[in-house]
Amino acid sequence: MRPRTALLLLLALWIATAVLTPLVGSQPVRLADVLRGDPTVTTIFWQIRLPRILLALLGGAALAVSGLGFQTLFRNALAEPYTLGISSGAALGAVLALRLQGGSFLGLSIVALASFSGALGATALIVGLALHRQGIQTSTLLLAGVAVSLSCSAIILFLQYLSDSTQTFRMVRWMMGGLSVVGYTEVLWLLPWVLGGSAALFALRWELNLLLTGEELAASRGVDLARLRRLVLLATSLMIGALVAVAGPIGFVGLIVPHMLRRLVGHDHLFLVPACMLGGGAFLTLCDAVGRTVMAPAELPVGILTALLGGPFFLWLLVFRRRDS
Amino acid sequence: MTVLLSARGLAWRAGARTILGPLDLDVLRGECLAVVGPNGAGKTTLLRCLTGLLEASGGEIAFDGRSLKSLSRRQIARRIAYVPQIRPARVPLKVAEIVLLGRYPHLSTLQLAPRKEDFAAVDEALRVVGIEELRGRPVDELSGGERQAVFIAAALAQEAELLVLDEPTLHLDARHQHDLAALLLRLKEGTDHTVVLATHDLNLASLLGDRLLALSAGKALATGTPAEILRPELLERLFRARFEIVRGGERPVTVLDLNA
Repeated sequence: MRPRTALLLLLALWIATAVLTPLVGSQPVRLADVLRGDPTVTTIFWQIRLPRILLALLGGAALAVSGLGFQTLFRNALAEPYTLGISSGAALGAVLALRLQGGSFLGLSIVALASFSGALGATALIVGLALHRQGIQTSTLLLAGVAVSLSCSAIILFLQYLSDSTQTFRMVRWMMGGLSVVGYTEVLWLLPWVLGGSAALFALRWELNLLLTGEELAASRGVDLARLRRLVLLATSLMIGALVAVAGPIGFVGLIVPHMLRRLVGHDHLFLVPACMLGGGAFLTLCDAVGRTVMAPAELPVGILTALLGGPFFLWLLVFRRRDS
Repeated sequence: MTVLLSARGLAWRAGARTILGPLDLDVLRGECLAVVGPNGAGKTTLLRCLTGLLEASGGEIAFDGRSLKSLSRRQIARRIAYVPQIRPARVPLKVAEIVLLGRYPHLSTLQLAPRKEDFAAVDEALRVVGIEELRGRPVDELSGGERQAVFIAAALAQEAELLVLDEPTLHLDARHQHDLAALLLRLKEGTDHTVVLATHDLNLASLLGDRLLALSAGKALATGTPAEILRPELLERLFRARFEIVRGGERPVTVLDLNA
């Protein structure tokens, strides 16, 4: 399939997802009722369903685009948005806030703000390291990320050990990730980060393509590797930090969506970045729609579903469809 | 002939160990300088310093009279094209895509798509290297020799005056070495590139080099024409191995004597 055709198909899928998923859930909604102005249905549709779908579309895009950026930057198929310890940093912030009891500030909960700070703190540590030692290897960065991640996890376990069972339950629940929101605060908060971050990676598409031919060759063609590394790290961490703050760490999307889309549109970042925005958003929204309906009226946290649905599908792709490798 | 690239007191140290230099070197416009020497002599380090990929620990490098340090990476890339020895095992791109990436130093960040002249440069590079029929193929499907030709084409598309090649015939069998040597000879005679080439292969250096630089333990052991450098005594000092000259003349052909 030509990349342009694939991109159009993804766009169609994205639009279909955006239009259809608000209608499904524990309480089915008919578009006719929404248009007629039925008060209950209108509230469900405008205040609960639509914000949630928009959050999923944006969040999925953030996860897939950052996963793509990291996989290219680290030349590592296993890299994902949380590779540099950003989710552990965020979790540490959230857990601290939950332990100290929350409140809210500017419409966002203290937990969200604390986890955003935690995410940025973890990234600042890694980026600071990269800046401090100019010639740092990307493999060193990767290991540093693992170290940050493990340290944060240790502190989280310690904090859980000190907490009572209610607090521990809330911490564990936070770490499962979820998209239940009411109203548009979270959507409006996430929008600029995701658009900005994706635009930055799209603007760097030539540099990212050059990285596919190796760092040495990219540098000899005129790519400033240190600057590229800083920009990619900055763009992805702001996007992911902003998402984790409102939705918790949602796994797997950032790992598998870019891989699936590479098979569909090829390796050129000119097509891959927009494809990840569309495909990642649609994937997370569909997973969330399933999560909202399978156990209705209870709902399954979307983080559990992305891994449950994505894992076997990804295995199938790897084992039975090995054409390009 | 005028000097295109000059290095004065060039040195590169890793900690207390000096890997390269101090070394003085002039590359003349239009010539092909072949750097020969044993493993670990500092050939790749020298090339990486000359292309600005490695910041020299000491000394000055000037391209056409301008200090390399005063040029940005892109400005250097418009002047010097490099074909490194080590590349990722897999590059998931098609031939034409890789060659088009050679245009990067000429593209502005705001440009959405490559311009007509970029595609023209790609076509021209593919034609000069003689791999037009490969343009739609994934590079991972090609043979080692074809792959090397693709990366040389990408360097040509860069339209830089100086072409720097690190071990272009490494890992190639006899047939592909022959074809690649023929390609490089065509390039040298058919275009006005200045070439710096590092190689273990003395016969390739002899065929292409206008001048040879014998590098030993980071220092210049000798510089001269192929006939001046490719002498048994000098080669024995350089490689600590015995060579025989099987054909003399301006561009001698040598053979390593493993029995000696």
